[in-house]
Amino acid sequence: MKSKEKMEDISFEEYLRKLEKIVHKLEEGELTLDESVKAYEEGMNITKICLEKLNKTKKKIEQLVIEGEENYSTKPFSEKKGENTINEL
Amino acid sequence: MNNYMESKIYTVSKLNKYIKKLFENDFNLQDIWILGEISNFKLHSSGHMYFVLKDKESQIRCVMFKGNNYSLRFMPVDGMKVKVRGDVSVYEKRGEYQLYVKEMVEAGKGELYLAFERLKVKLKDEGLFSEEIKKRLPLIPQNIAVITSPTGAAIRDVITISLRRFPNLSILVVPSLVQGVSAAQEIARKIDFLNKHFKDLDFIIIGRGGGSLEELWAFNEEILARSIYNSKIPIVSAVGHETDFTISDFVADLRVPTPSAAAEMTIPDKNNLINNLSLLKSKINRAVKRNFELKTEKLNSIGRSLKYQGPENKINQYYQYIDEFNVRLSSKIRHQVELYEEKIKKDSQRLDSLSPWAVIERGYSVCRKIPGKEIIKKLEQIEVGSKIEIIISDGKILSKVEKKEAVLN
Repeated sequence: MKSKEKMEDISFEEYLRKLEKIVHKLEEGELTLDESVKAYEEGMNITKICLEKLNKTKKKIEQLVIEGEENYSTKPFSEKKGENTINEL
Repeated sequence: MNNYMESKIYTVSKLNKYIKKLFENDFNLQDIWILGEISNFKLHSSGHMYFVLKDKESQIRCVMFKGNNYSLRFMPVDGMKVKVRGDVSVYEKRGEYQLYVKEMVEAGKGELYLAFERLKVKLKDEGLFSEEIKKRLPLIPQNIAVITSPTGAAIRDVITISLRRFPNLSILVVPSLVQGVSAAQEIARKIDFLNKHFKDLDFIIIGRGGGSLEELWAFNEEILARSIYNSKIPIVSAVGHETDFTISDFVADLRVPTPSAAAEMTIPDKNNLINNLSLLKSKINRAVKRNFELKTEKLNSIGRSLKYQGPENKINQYYQYIDEFNVRLSSKIRHQVELYEEKIKKDSQRLDSLSPWAVIERGYSVCRKIPGKEIIKKLEQIEVGSKIEIIISDGKILSKVEKKEAVLN
């Protein structure tokens, strides 16, 4: 199987395209049993990777604070007091 | 304390009516020509036009009713310099004075408008708007930045809509001025900063809510255009101005009409994606299952055909073959027999024609010795006085040889 780094190289779009190709091949019904088992496993693996990709990022709303030319920090972004802060959404 | 009891008390409408009369009785305010630049132009669905006429220091609200504007030769736009003729009066409902425009002529394009056109042509010629250099946005953005005012509705909309579509998104808010003289430079500087320190960003949204041409001006400045052009990170221009484009819109990798639209169009709906994935997954499941069923069916049919080709069937087949062969054979034989019969018939006819009887029939006769029945062909076979029989067509004659006489050839 592919290494973790390699997985990162392939975009979500490409995975979706691969998945559609697999579905297409399977639906044509011309694969041998061995091939369809392989296609099935690859398809399941790709959906798993895609879901991982979708869930990989953590929700984070931050505000950039630039300090001079090179330095910066971030702080949680919130609107003025009295209103719902975005982070509560 | 109760002074007002002694003075006369007016209603608001009475007051406004009075003020209106003051305006209308002042001939300096009636049927006058005004020079100014159009701003905030709106063509209402009723056909009336509402706009603001302004110069560098001041502005006045204007309305041009349908009855007056239908003969206009051009469609007024923001930034256009015009001369208008009309009356100043009061809109009592709001207590606002405004210019009731009856006539409008172009007075050359406004400076801002001209500046915009000049810059647009210049940057276009340099290739800054070229479609080929536009970068594609990823389908699944993970980290995005938004350069805008941190307090406006724009940032709130972007965040709310983005998180609704993709709940685990990382958004970096980069506060910036979005209008005023230094706004363009500040936004440009922030784009450069993000390119330097946040290389992993999927894209940057720059934008603000709607406003007049002046309020949006930062997005028409060259310094910002160049910064967008130079950005390695894709830029989404989201300046709230439905009808016109800004220079930023032209240079950006994606132009959307409002900040909310930026979120709607760039952030995928996670639920949709997941549904899509499970759809593909179930399609795979179904296809594989069907594949197995097909294979099983094929196996069964091979099994059935094997049975057909088994010994029992082979024997039956041979039987059938033999039967068929028999039929074919017997018909062949019959034919052969017929041929033979025909031949025999012919032969026997020929035989008939050769038979001595046929000759005798014609008048010839055969002589045979008695006894011995030897056919007499030469004189030497018999003696004078011996008995012979002569066979003719309907019987025989018994005779005695009286004389032998040779025939000389």
